[in-house]
Amino acid sequence: MKVLLSWVREFVDIDEPAEAIGRKLSLRGLPLEALEPMSDDALMDFEVTANRPDCMSVAGIAREIAVVYGLPFRAPHSAWPEAGASPSPAAAPPIRISIEAPDLCARYVGAVADVTIGPSPAWMADRLNACGVRPISNVVDITNYVLLELGQPMHAFDHARLAGPAIVVRRARAGETLRTLDGKPRALAADMLVIADAERASAIGGVMGGAESEVSASTRRIVFESAWFKPQSVRATSRALGLRTEASMRFERGADLTAPAVAMARACELLSQLGAGTAGPLLDVYPARHQPAVLFLAQPRVEGLLGMHVPDAEIVRILEALGFGVEPVPGGWSVVAPGWRVDMHRDVDLIEEIGRHHGFEHLPATFPGVQQAPAPSDPRIARDARARRVALAAGFSEAISFAFIEARHAEPFQGGEAPVALANPLSEKFAVMRPSLVPGLVGAVSHNRRHGRRDVQLFEIGTRFSARGETRAIGLAWTGLATPDHWSGGRRDVDFFDMKGVVEQLASLFDVEISARAPAEGSVAEAVLVPGRAAVLVSGDRSIGWLGQLQAAIGDAHDLPANDVVYVAECDLDALSAAVAPARMTTPLPRFPAAVRDIAMLVDESLSAATVRGTIRSKAPSTLVGVTEFDRYQGKGIPDGKVSLALRLTFQSLERTLTDSEVEAATTAVVDLLTSELGAVRR
Amino acid sequence: MTTIDPSIGTDRARAIFDEELAGVASAAALQELRNRWMARSGSWVAAFMDLIARATPDQKKALGRGANELKKHVEVALADREAALSATRRPAGAVDVTLPGRAPRLGCRHPLSLVREEVGAIFSRLGYQVLEGPEIEDDYHNFEALNMPAEHPARDMQDTLYLANPLTPASYAPPTRGLAPRAPQPLTLLRTHTSAMQIRQMERHDPPVRLVAIGPVYRRDNLDLTHTPMFHQVEGLVVGRGITLADLKGTLTSMAAALFGPATRGDESARSGQAPLVRFRPSFFPYTEPSAEVDIRCIRCGGEGCPMCKRTGWLEILGSGMVHPAVFEYVGYDPDEVTGFAFGMGIERVALLKWGVEDIRLFYENDLRFLEQFGR
Ligand SMILES: [Zn+2]
Repeated sequence: MKVLLSWVREFVDIDEPAEAIGRKLSLRGLPLEALEPMSDDALMDFEVTANRPDCMSVAGIAREIAVVYGLPFRAPHSAWPEAGASPSPAAAPPIRISIEAPDLCARYVGAVADVTIGPSPAWMADRLNACGVRPISNVVDITNYVLLELGQPMHAFDHARLAGPAIVVRRARAGETLRTLDGKPRALAADMLVIADAERASAIGGVMGGAESEVSASTRRIVFESAWFKPQSVRATSRALGLRTEASMRFERGADLTAPAVAMARACELLSQLGAGTAGPLLDVYPARHQPAVLFLAQPRVEGLLGMHVPDAEIVRILEALGFGVEPVPGGWSVVAPGWRVDMHRDVDLIEEIGRHHGFEHLPATFPGVQQAPAPSDPRIARDARARRVALAAGFSEAISFAFIEARHAEPFQGGEAPVALANPLSEKFAVMRPSLVPGLVGAVSHNRRHGRRDVQLFEIGTRFSARGETRAIGLAWTGLATPDHWSGGRRDVDFFDMKGVVEQLASLFDVEISARAPAEGSVAEAVLVPGRAAVLVSGDRSIGWLGQLQAAIGDAHDLPANDVVYVAECDLDALSAAVAPARMTTPLPRFPAAVRDIAMLVDESLSAATVRGTIRSKAPSTLVGVTEFDRYQGKGIPDGKVSLALRLTFQSLERTLTDSEVEAATTAVVDLLTSELGAVRR
Repeated sequence: MTTIDPSIGTDRARAIFDEELAGVASAAALQELRNRWMARSGSWVAAFMDLIARATPDQKKALGRGANELKKHVEVALADREAALSATRRPAGAVDVTLPGRAPRLGCRHPLSLVREEVGAIFSRLGYQVLEGPEIEDDYHNFEALNMPAEHPARDMQDTLYLANPLTPASYAPPTRGLAPRAPQPLTLLRTHTSAMQIRQMERHDPPVRLVAIGPVYRRDNLDLTHTPMFHQVEGLVVGRGITLADLKGTLTSMAAALFGPATRGDESARSGQAPLVRFRPSFFPYTEPSAEVDIRCIRCGGEGCPMCKRTGWLEILGSGMVHPAVFEYVGYDPDEVTGFAFGMGIERVALLKWGVEDIRLFYENDLRFLEQFGR
């Protein structure tokens, strides 16, 4: 709200410079947004919060200043004639006003005036200009001047253009249209309030006047309007029409039911002051008079809520200065809110007024007492922190990406399901909620690669969205070298098993045993990963995630440099934590030594390690406690289509030390098993 | 090499020795030097002994003292240099210890994640329960129960992102109290604040309540230097008997000190407790009454005024207030029995201030050159 200091001074004798006023009001709920010094004046722009429509006026700001500085406020109505005062003898005849929609218009004050249209005097035009309102003509300028001064929107109709002549406040008729002052034709809906003449709509109530009844240079007689319109109705109409005006902004926040007559008196006074015309009687249609809210303020409640002591006299001073009626009653006060304080519903609203004008700077700093032990925190926080530690230790840096991504980036990761799309996205880039963390990570890898990074390892822990709801996952992406460059050599690009190792560590963190399988047809892993370098991860029959080499086409879509090899993985943290076995008791350390035997077996190259291990596990002697693949060799000395698989077998008994011959027998049993079951040959 | 000539005197000879010693770089050269100065015959020391033997009795005493001092000096210096030389000798299999080590790669933390964790830790320490919650919400929990019924103008303050097709909650536990619909509500929007989580918690638990809810929230804000359509928020809520606005001030003061450290304490007067760390400015939120915006003392200038705080000495950091009685009615608490405070703070805002980041979009680019500045 832009106000001129000189204008404010018509309501309160404030000597402070504008800057000081601004600083002080900023601490009382009216932050000064901008200050424009002028030759012998200042334009102050205050930010007014949505609950304070009364401060969208010079008088409202002046009242706050008066309270802050403890100065008297010259109430606007004291200077002007009472509503309904007797008209001057030359006054124009009245007009018939009827309110057919009293639920949307609680009060309508009209006045007919004979006018001579011309320019406004310089002082008025200058004030309007300074506040960003273009002067048009004396009559129109008066309506804008009163709006700025008192916050009450007004309108002027050309009397000659009103059929009847009559003012009818009613809902729009089906199919009714109106060309508004901005020249645009508007289709009106049946729930919109219009100000009509005897025949058709001539204004949209509280939003904008119509072009047909607009005051023009040839206008000789006008009808001034000063009314009260229901906030919800004005807001809905304004939104539906996409039409926000100075009037609608004030009505939708709640206008003062007592203001229309005061504003009309002020407009008529200005009319005669400017020599622009003479008004007839104020016609006040006010079917149900405003019943001011009476609130009980319990004295102990003030300190009880604020935690600071405010003396009773100060409480009364603040409320009265703000225009409240205050009556002492047992235990507190009975408080009547003035008409312009539409935000007063409960005692806390009064306490806020007391607190802010007494000064929040007087608040002591205390602590809330603890009555009981805190309830446990969301277990996901500690869980995610553990997963984060594993990823960081494995060299991955933490990424945070927008949860909405492009539809084309999401599509391959949806597993054939519909995406969770936004109805009103900011742009195509943010169209759907991510079904996976990997698209965002690939985008981030691409960004880093295009900015000169060779090795990129990123992870993100975040929410994935599907029609079934939200799941929390960790996604990983890795491109470049497997380990940092070192002078000793060992330079190697990241491969499938680097990424699989990280995922295995994640699973072991949760003490969950996972196994890898080739992805099923139609799965996300199949859709986004290179065939033969793709795996889905399961624990029992629970799906945990997937990993593998990203398909080039997916990288291309994110502008990843061509030929970049990126390994990606995603693990469902919710599924992982659900798969956690109950906490285990420790087992005693073995008292007898273990025996280790290495065997090398020639097997078909198509045979998976999991099959070999599974075969051994299925029928192994009970003393076999461990099987590890420690070498896999193809090439010289190995027949085509075969592979030499070296296995380390660990045997141990809890009861005694195994003899050499027992270990040998057990090893032979394993070899025989592989030979008979899988056609393996010992090398 | 200077010819051995004891007639130059022991002081001059000592200077010559020091010069020659300085040129010794190997054990062999050191042995050579030792022979030249200390050998029984033909050395400097031997030459001085000869000189003493030939001197008159009254010269002998002075000459003897000088020669002995020279001898002692040479012995000590030779021993020191020998020790120094043997220390630099590389044993078999020695490595060049100055070459870089084989460091395992360590990832970097994201600054938003660091702040999130830090804020969580601060409030855990103050006895708060730390919660997260669903990011897709229903209208009731995001707006209505926060005293923003349909058509409430305050809904404009948070431009909302809506789903094209509402979702049905996967699991549903009806609220045990309050005005919430007992049937599951369609999930229609991305939460605009984490306050929705606070409502859900109050609907299911009796007071007292002492929690912070942390996580991403969404608003239809265009990307610019200070806005992103997704950002992170931490919201605190304390409800109980006799909770006051002054309690909020104390709580936020200690949070600011913990989060921003001694810098917030600024100049001497601030340190001595004269100047407060936080400042409340009256404001408006539909779900709190009274409401206040909270500033912290500028972490760069300590309150004197600098470009960061636009010369005000204060940095705006969060919105807060006393829980509106209407909110208590929505969740089934008695506003005559309990009071409470609530506050909401942007994680990005904290990170921007804490590390002097000038463009909020950097937090979502995941550029390693940026992330690596936040340490491991
Ligand atoms: Zn500063």
